[in-house]
Amino acid sequence: MIEYASMILPYVTTILLFSSIYAVFALGLNLEWGFTGLINFGHAAFFAIGAYTTVMLNISGYPLILSVAAGVVMAGFFGFLLGIPTLRLREDYLAIVTIGFSEVLRYILLNEEWLTRGPFGIHGFDRPLQDVISYQYYNIFLLMLFVVLLTIVYFSLEKLVHSPWGRVLKSIREDESVPSALGKNVFSYKLQSLAIGSAIAGLAGAMLAFYLQYIDPGTFKPIETFHAWIIVILGGTASNRGTIVGAIILWTFFSVTKFINPYLPFMSHQMGAFRMIVIGLLLMLLMMYRPEGIFGKKEELALSD
Amino acid sequence: MDLLSVRNLRKHFGGVKAVDGCSLTIEAGTIMGLIGPNGAGKTTMFNLISGFERGSGEIVFKGIRINKLPSFKVAQCGIVRTFQIPRALTKMTVLENLMLAPKAQAGERIWNVWLRRRKVKEQERQIKEKSRDILRFFEISHLEDEYAGALSGGQKKLLEMARAMMIDPLLMMLDEPFAGVNPTLSRKISRYIDELREAGMTFLVIEHDIPAITRISDRIIVMNEGKILTEGAPEEVKRNRDVLNVYLGGDG
Repeated sequence: MIEYASMILPYVTTILLFSSIYAVFALGLNLEWGFTGLINFGHAAFFAIGAYTTVMLNISGYPLILSVAAGVVMAGFFGFLLGIPTLRLREDYLAIVTIGFSEVLRYILLNEEWLTRGPFGIHGFDRPLQDVISYQYYNIFLLMLFVVLLTIVYFSLEKLVHSPWGRVLKSIREDESVPSALGKNVFSYKLQSLAIGSAIAGLAGAMLAFYLQYIDPGTFKPIETFHAWIIVILGGTASNRGTIVGAIILWTFFSVTKFINPYLPFMSHQMGAFRMIVIGLLLMLLMMYRPEGIFGKKEELALSD
Repeated sequence: MDLLSVRNLRKHFGGVKAVDGCSLTIEAGTIMGLIGPNGAGKTTMFNLISGFERGSGEIVFKGIRINKLPSFKVAQCGIVRTFQIPRALTKMTVLENLMLAPKAQAGERIWNVWLRRRKVKEQERQIKEKSRDILRFFEISHLEDEYAGALSGGQKKLLEMARAMMIDPLLMMLDEPFAGVNPTLSRKISRYIDELREAGMTFLVIEHDIPAITRISDRIIVMNEGKILTEGAPEEVKRNRDVLNVYLGGDG
């Protein structure tokens, strides 16, 4: 029995660690897409900026907390910068530009070895309280830390989306000519939403780096962006609670499929494709029978107009 | 006093002269009707005045040139518009639709959400009260908690006017407020517009429903093919031969 528990515990911890990282990551996207209607297909770029800024500053000798703060600010700043030329575009063009941005950034990370060590990636940076917590319990500690961070992000976002500020975002999502005709500077609100969403992705990037202890450009492929999209759609667009649940479901699914792989008639390298097929089917079924997601409000997805 | 004066306004889309050198003035506290056949340029005129499109010419509101301003700044000056097809924010409740509108809300600034909680809360209470007053005026209080998407076409028109009222506009521009509305509601809308005018508001109203627009307007402008055909009191306009030609496509 005890043996069994000692096997299960690290397994569950890993699932929850990934879930909390991706929950934070997807909460950023949910602010942009769920509440503001911005189609950001380059969310992974801000994940990368947060992670790289944090670890690069840390290995150059800056204290960890400062490095994380800089990572968050830097990701938000790049969101702001990217927003200036792109947020005036129609939403589908925004999608194209952002996915382009995330790929350009990844290739820069891959090729500028003097700066980011290119494909070799970065390791050997500090992790929070690594000298205090024994290795044996470190992941448990990290999980507690991540849950605290997730809670902070969650409640801050809840407060924001239920404020007059959040109300303007929702009106932009519905039909931006309305707030515009009522005197709201739509562009400025979109910029704020993108910057904050990106900053949150930056925090998630730092969290990911702490867990993996190693990052390279391959960690931030476009698929990470779409993981966030799957999470948001699964959990319920414009529901922060749903986003957290969506993250747990996705990572549980990923782990379970890894676990049962030996019992399935696939080679392990085919498993990735199999997972995506299942997720694709799942999303299709969801769109057909519960398009508002698990926690979304049906009224907020009324298709009639 | 002229609240709005437009001089030599022009907007061409390629070869189409949507608005072709129009001038008009609207006196404060009056209702100006704007009629004309489809494609006459009425909605483009609305878009130009409200800053949704840019053209050449001059638009002066309360002595300030506004034709270079983006739409949200025009709105901040006190011009509010509605849309031909009502644009209710369907996934928000009726009350939320109204509470969105007021200008300069403290809680619209992100840091105030944390730093000035009490002020934000107090303001929200006031805005809610004001929203309810306006819903009462338009007799749609019972719909307060409905999602706007669930409203009928006529109710959406009322919602749009109510929402526009929330910014305390000086000039309200209504794009076809009577279109597709049943006669009872049509009379109600006339009454609301009239009461608001009594209270000092100015209106510019696009409308195809000639009986309705002649009933409420002080003056009427007739547009055709981007130009202003004539302007005058409703009775004059109704008798005008050119107007009859344009509308009835014959000798009337």
